[in-house]
Amino acid sequence: MILLTIREAVLRGTLVFYFAVGNIIILFLAYALDVSPENPSMITFFGNPILPKNIGDTNPVDFVLIQLQRSSASSILLFGVFAVAGLIPSMLEKGTVELYLSKPLSRTTLLLSRAVGASAGVALNLIYFAVGIWLVFGIKLSIWHGGFLLSFLFVCIAFLFYFSIVTFVGIVTKSAGFSIMFAFVYTFFSSALESRTKFLYQIWNNDIYRTTLDVLYYITPQLSAMLDNSSRVIGKMPFPPEQLAQTFDILPFVYSLLSSAAIYALASYQFAKQDF
Amino acid sequence: MNIVETSGLSKTYRSGLFKRSIVHALTEVSLSVRKGEIFGLLGPNGAGKTTFVKILLSIVHPTQGEATVAGEKLGSPSIRERSGYLPENHRYPAFLTGLQTLIFFGSLNGMRGKALADRAHQLLELVGLQDWKKVKIKRYSKGMLQRLGLAQALLNDPDLLFLDEPTDGVDPVGRKEIRDLLTSLRNQDKTIFLNSHLLSEVEMISDRVAILNKGKVLKIGTIAELTSKQIEYELLLDRSLDDSIIEKLRPHLLSLNVEGKKLVIAVETNVELNTSIDILRSKGILIESMAQKRTTLEDSFIDLIQREATS
Repeated sequence: MILLTIREAVLRGTLVFYFAVGNIIILFLAYALDVSPENPSMITFFGNPILPKNIGDTNPVDFVLIQLQRSSASSILLFGVFAVAGLIPSMLEKGTVELYLSKPLSRTTLLLSRAVGASAGVALNLIYFAVGIWLVFGIKLSIWHGGFLLSFLFVCIAFLFYFSIVTFVGIVTKSAGFSIMFAFVYTFFSSALESRTKFLYQIWNNDIYRTTLDVLYYITPQLSAMLDNSSRVIGKMPFPPEQLAQTFDILPFVYSLLSSAAIYALASYQFAKQDF
Repeated sequence: MNIVETSGLSKTYRSGLFKRSIVHALTEVSLSVRKGEIFGLLGPNGAGKTTFVKILLSIVHPTQGEATVAGEKLGSPSIRERSGYLPENHRYPAFLTGLQTLIFFGSLNGMRGKALADRAHQLLELVGLQDWKKVKIKRYSKGMLQRLGLAQALLNDPDLLFLDEPTDGVDPVGRKEIRDLLTSLRNQDKTIFLNSHLLSEVEMISDRVAILNKGKVLKIGTIAELTSKQIEYELLLDRSLDDSIIEKLRPHLLSLNVEGKKLVIAVETNVELNTSIDILRSKGILIESMAQKRTTLEDSFIDLIQREATS
């Protein structure tokens, strides 16, 4: 079921498109990036040194990799959701769901296999891109940065947690369009919750409102915090938001594991109750 | 021995705002299916046939009532291990070939490796798709998809086969082949539960049938029991009958229909037929021709549905 889901995701074409775009970016960076002949710790872009300012004690190479990781991970993740959000509702289509449910598999197994398969489709894209960039840095610039690869592993885990929301909405609404829409709304919502003390708290000075925001933050997968922390695996963050540490923090992953497990359980319960 | 046993099975669907719209899809359906028979479930569209099968396979949850399939209570995974199901309007992943489809669904049945591959090839040959096994199923016709669906339902060599409109979209030759296949499966002691609105086909192969309408079972029995209750005759007379003769005939007949010189009567036995002829002859009426009308399953079905509608 997982393999079939990956195959279905690939054959939808969207992932293939991202794969092609990823290849172009890898080739472009392989051509454009180099190291400065005068200073081997300085990376150049078309021969011009990348000179990051105000990065404190962050290593300049780490800084470049962090920027690359942050922009590529969040883009692939967002577009990945767009590519695979329809896989849950497509399993529930009339004529398809009956075939699956008539087999001796539990509904929970079916649903989780589908979610893992969809996440694996996106993860393959992420890992392919990460390994490509890692090889460019290693072969061309002789910078073999294991943290960069590891950071994408955390992004894949973050996607599996994040996809719990898409799965739940897909099961309840049975609509691919609604699942995608909700996923995007949730992405911005997660980011807003992450920095709630800076912005959302200022909107209304009310304890119940603030507690509600805190509860929402902890009961939903902390996408924004997970992505931030995945970057920190590469090196010390140059510009951390005020309330966040500069180094890697596992807690957002732990909270997200618990909340996504609860959301997957809720989705399974809802699926088990439904008639088709 | 009964392989399917249901008692008071009901299903009510609620929809709309505050779930106020209620549809009774099944109302206290109690029936049994014997091991090794072909059992036909007949009914007009929306009668509840598909809901009934889906309840047996736990695709739909019953509102009330109980059922056992192969001795197991509803919801047991072993029911699905021992059953095969061909749903109506089934949709397979269009990017797979016929062979890949069978391998995929076989793996969902817990089958693996060479045994699965051999079984898939064997079934493709059985349903006449061996030349199409490497073609993506998006190129298959409706009839070919139906054959593939049948092969899919047979993958795990099930004891009990649920088929929902299995000959839908299949050409006459293909239909005959499917009927022959079902008959041969019955001879192997498999039980076949057939949902269909193609009455003539059901009549040809079913051992027993149930007629379902608006979620209620109207009748269960063998084809003979459902069709032989009354014998109809069509008589062509030398003149039209007047009302007094009709009134004399009526007490002896199950039904009577006069169209000019044509008289159609239904009797329980030949005794009533001869009594009617005697009455006609005693009034000096000549019988120019007489033919027995066979009551088909379709006649009985329509009669039952119409009677249900008028009551």
